[in-house]
Formats: sequence, structure tokens, C-alpha cells
Amino acid sequence: MSLLMKPHYPDYSSAPVQHQFSPYADNGGSVVAIAGDDFVVLGADTRLSAGFSIYTRNQNKLFPLSKTTVLGCSGCWCDTLTLTRILKSRMQMYQQEHNKTMSTTACAQMLSTLLYYKRFFPYYISNVLVGLDNEGKGCVYSYDPIGHCEKATYRAGGSAGALLQPLLDNQIGQKNMEIVSSEPLSQEKALAILKDVFISAAERDIYTGDSVFINIITKDGIKEETFELRKD
Amino acid sequence: MNNNFVSKGTLAGGAADCVYWDRVLAKQCRMYELRNRERISVAAASKLMANMVYNYKGMGLSMGMMLAGWDKRGPQLYYVDSEGTRTSGKVFSVGSGSIYAFGVLDSGYKWDLTDEEAYDLGRRAIYHATHRDAYSGGIVRVYHMKETGWVHIDNNDCNDLHYKYQAEKEDLENIVD
Amino acid sequence: MSSVLCPEIPAAGFSFENCRRNALLENKGLTVPKATKTGTTIVGITFKDGVILGADTRATEDTTVADKNCEKIHYLAPNMYCCGAGTAADTEMTTQMISSQLELHRLYTNRIARVATANQMLKQYLFRYQGYIGAALILGGVDVEGPHLYQIYPHGSSDHLPYITMGSGSLAAMSVFESGWRQDLEEEAGIKLVRDAIAAGVFNDLGSGSNIDVCIIRKGAADYKRTYDEANKKGIRQASYRYPRGTTRILSSKVVDVEEVCVQRIEPERMDTA
Repeated sequence: MSLLMKPHYPDYSSAPVQHQFSPYADNGGSVVAIAGDDFVVLGADTRLSAGFSIYTRNQNKLFPLSKTTVLGCSGCWCDTLTLTRILKSRMQMYQQEHNKTMSTTACAQMLSTLLYYKRFFPYYISNVLVGLDNEGKGCVYSYDPIGHCEKATYRAGGSAGALLQPLLDNQIGQKNMEIVSSEPLSQEKALAILKDVFISAAERDIYTGDSVFINIITKDGIKEETFELRKD
Repeated sequence: MNNNFVSKGTLAGGAADCVYWDRVLAKQCRMYELRNRERISVAAASKLMANMVYNYKGMGLSMGMMLAGWDKRGPQLYYVDSEGTRTSGKVFSVGSGSIYAFGVLDSGYKWDLTDEEAYDLGRRAIYHATHRDAYSGGIVRVYHMKETGWVHIDNNDCNDLHYKYQAEKEDLENIVD
Repeated sequence: MSSVLCPEIPAAGFSFENCRRNALLENKGLTVPKATKTGTTIVGITFKDGVILGADTRATEDTTVADKNCEKIHYLAPNMYCCGAGTAADTEMTTQMISSQLELHRLYTNRIARVATANQMLKQYLFRYQGYIGAALILGGVDVEGPHLYQIYPHGSSDHLPYITMGSGSLAAMSVFESGWRQDLEEEAGIKLVRDAIAAGVFNDLGSGSNIDVCIIRKGAADYKRTYDEANKKGIRQASYRYPRGTTRILSSKVVDVEEVCVQRIEPERMDTA
């Protein structure tokens, strides 16, 4: 009632809006990784965007660190460029110092430490590191922006990560199901699910689309593949 | 951590904080061992941790941990957090679900628990925390810190535990009836 | 009159009774629920014999797509349609209300309502709410004066223009119009231009997407082409996601005896039209 009695005028007395510098940008993108007994597949969409506009429809977000290790990044693209540059030089330093290539597990720990080094001004990236471990088994490591590392067999990260992880839990982790197949995950099945979840992500996440760039890592090396998504 | 400790970090806010500083502490303990040819005491290790994180007080570190170990003075349990608190005690729980766990622990704890009773009390405490706290859940792991080092007892999905405890409760009601 | 079970039917118009409470809660740090924005590309052009309206069909909630095939071209009158961008609920309700007022106006005057009338009604309504009704509209229609196209902003200002784009994809769509629009376009060329403008928004603006709706209004006839073009085809899944029977665990079951349920049929009463 008091609103009716008192006329209400807009408030023009507040201070002007301050525009302050923001060091971070969200360039979107999604990364999905699925590991099997002797392989691991890693896919990232190729859309680079900011706000409501697309910078490019063809940006590779996968970074091979060695013959058996690949890193997938999404989030702030400038932080991705810096982090991967540092990672590559650290890989080279290790190679020249020890005369051997860094193992996937060592890479995983190094990435965690590099991220935590910037604990109070973090790299704004969702990282998924995949590779083959010392026994040749596929493995996936996922990180939060300040370096917490979690070993898994499958993982979805980036802008559609929250959308896709429950789907992977069900389809790969076989969660919440009574009838469960005991067969180990085949490379073909993993690849099919990887492509299908990206189709779903492109339907509902505006930052995921255009195409997927896929790396299939086996003992024979890294195979590359692309897969088209919707472009709206 | 190393052979003589179990250090438990709860992941309240800073998962990376816990894992990273745990690793730093593990290195410090190993360095102490190499320099002094004997294992560090739990009291000393917990103090190292408390002092390390105290340097970052107010800057946003978020961690609460329990250090359990066995040294010259016998079994030891310490609580350390990122605010700089460090206390020893007989019963602790840490993290967002700790209040629920404390309720179970305090009602069931006595000093002469058998091993099996202690495992079950710990398991139930965590289960009840996962049940009421939205941020806790998943697998309940139980470790036993012995004089010879830590032993992994078992892992249980808290979902399975839920139905197990529910069945036990129903059985008990049937007996009473 | 009123009871606990059936409160009084509220008076027409908005209820502001929670405004003070919500402002207080917002000050205390409560995040207010977000309205669905259409994050849109909508366009309109005049051509030789009338106007053509176009719209995409994506509705977004922050960064997720809320509706993949929503209708953004709203009916106002037989000779008038209106594209809406901004808050989905506001565009929907505003056009519905003005549509009803236009119909009453038509019955009262016994004439086809003019587009200028609809424009005046819309802008006066929006101005009254000082931009808080988040409806950005493109109004198009044909009346005795010929084809008309109006652009109406949420604060209540309007323009009378030969070609218009609005929404988050308006810049992409306008670039197509600025290079392709001419006076006295043929219908075929006009539809193609509108399609291309919406497609520019669909592909280059993340807030717009899915299909393209087109509405052609000529003298005496409106032709609403819902899903004129499916600009994006959904990808084809490779694996099967059918669950075999028994996949979901049954926690408890209960059987209801249907025979005991009583079904009573109530004959509808005739309305008193005397």
C-alpha cells in the first residue's frame, strides 16, 4: 500500500558505473576424455568464442606433450596459450636433463604443481590430461583451475562439462543401472560415445559447436580425427 | 603420506590446497628422516604444517586436516587447519559434514573400542555425514594406523551402506516386535 | 466472498506486493531467478506489396539453450504480426494483450485496425513500465495506408522504417540488409533476403540458432511460414541408447485396484445466452 501512496521515482543519484580491467575471458569450449585398457580418446570442440560472438570455428584445443601424452584445455584462451607454452618448455628441459621423455604420470603431477604455483592468480582453464601410463594402460587426469588433480577413466570438462559428466557416468561408468555388461570398453564404443555426447552438448550449450577435434592415443602413436557439429 | 603417517585432508573448498600442502609436508618429513636418521614425530610434523599454512593466513587458503601417526610417544592424532589451529585429541572430524560425524562419534566412542568396533564407528560417522551433508558423498574409505604403519581396511560406496544400515535397522525393529 | 481454499480473483494488472521483500533479499545477497531471454535475431522488411517478418527459434537461459524451437513471430490481428526479442514472457504477454485490445477495437470501429494504432498502443504500454517490461518488438502489417513496419524499444520509443533488425543478432542481420535491401523488392527476393538475414544471426550470434520462421503479410492475406528453413540439422548418433527392460532398480511397488475407483460424469450446463 505504501508504494501506492508514495510516488516512486528512479534513482539517478547513484555513482557512475565503474568499468574496471578484467584479466580473464571465458572463451568457452568443451573437452571429453575416455580411457580404455590400451587406449585413450580425447576430444575438444573447435569453437572459440566470447560473449555472444564466435572468434573462430576452427581452433584446436588439444596439445600433444609427448608421444603418449595429450592435454586438452578450455576456458580462458590466453591462459591456455601461456600454460601450454610453459609446459612444452618444461617437457624439453626434462628431456635434455634426464635424456628421456617425461611419463604421463609425471606430466600429470607437474601440471598440478604449475597450476598451484598460481594459486592466488589462477590460470582460468579446465584441463584434462590423458595418456598411457607405464604399463600402457589408458588414463585420464582432470584438474580444477588451481591444480587439484583427479585420476579417472573418463571425464568431461569445460562449458558443457556439467551437462556431459552425468551422461558419461551412466554410459561409461554404468552408474545407476541393474543390468551391467562386464565387457571391457572397446575403442570403437568409446569413440562413438565421445562423438554422440558432443552432438548432445552442441544442442544445448551455446559455447560448444562447429566441429570436434579428436586424438586417439595407443601404443602405436596418436591418431587424429575430426567430426562435424552444428554451427549455430 | 610416508610410512609412519596417515594424513587426512578434507576437501572443504580447497581440494588443491590440501593435496598440494600434503605433498609439501611429505617432502619435509622425508627430508627430516634423511637428515636425522629417524622418523619425525607427529607433533613436529603437524607443527610444520600449521606453521607453513599460517604464513598464508587470511589469503584464502581453505583446508582442514587430521594427522594420525605412531611415534615414540605412541599413537597420536592432531587437527590442523588453514586458520592456524593445531590441537591434539582423541576424536576429530573435519569438513562440511563434520558436525554430523561428530554426533555419531561422540555417541559411540569409548577408549577401549576393539578394532572392528572402531572401524564400524568411523564408517557410520562418515555415512551419516554423507547422508545429511550435500557436499559429502561417494566412497567411504577406512584406514587403520598401526604401530607398524597404516593398513587399508576397506572401501564402501555410501549408497550400499545406506541400504545395509537400513536393513539392519529393520531387522532390529522386527526383533523388538 | 473469499475463503482459504479459493482466494479472491485478483484485480487485473501486475502485482507488486513482493517488490520490497525481493529488493531486501537481493540486498542480502540472494540471487534472483533469471527470466528466459530469447537472445534473438528478429528482422522485418517492406517489399513491393507488403511486409515480411523473420525470426530464429532459439531461447536461452544464460549459456544453455532453453527452447530449441520457440515461436517469436506473434499474431496481433489478421493483418498484423509482431516479432519479439528480449524477455520471453514479456514479449508473449504484451503481444497477447495488445492483440486482444486490437480485436475489441476492430469490433467497435468495424474497420481493419491500422498498424499505427497497434504501434501507439504498444509504445504507450511499454513506456508506462519504464523499460521494466523487457520487450523489443518489430511490428509489421498492411492496412488502408499500405504496408508498415515499426521498431519498438522496451522503454517505449519507436521508429517507422523500411527494414529493421533487433535482438543480439541484429548487427549480423543488418549487414545483410544494408548490402541487399532495395526499394520495391519482389516477394521471392524479399523472402530470400529475410532468410539470409536470419541465417546470418543464427550462425554468427551465439544467442540465436535453430530454425528460421518467416511471415509474409500482403494486402488482405498473411502467410505465416513456421519453420521456413531448418538452418541446422541435428547430428546423427552412432551408438544406441535404449535401455533393456529391468535396467532401473525397483525400490518399492504398489498395486491400485482400478475397479474401486468411481468415475462420475457431470453433464455440462448450457451457458445462459438469453
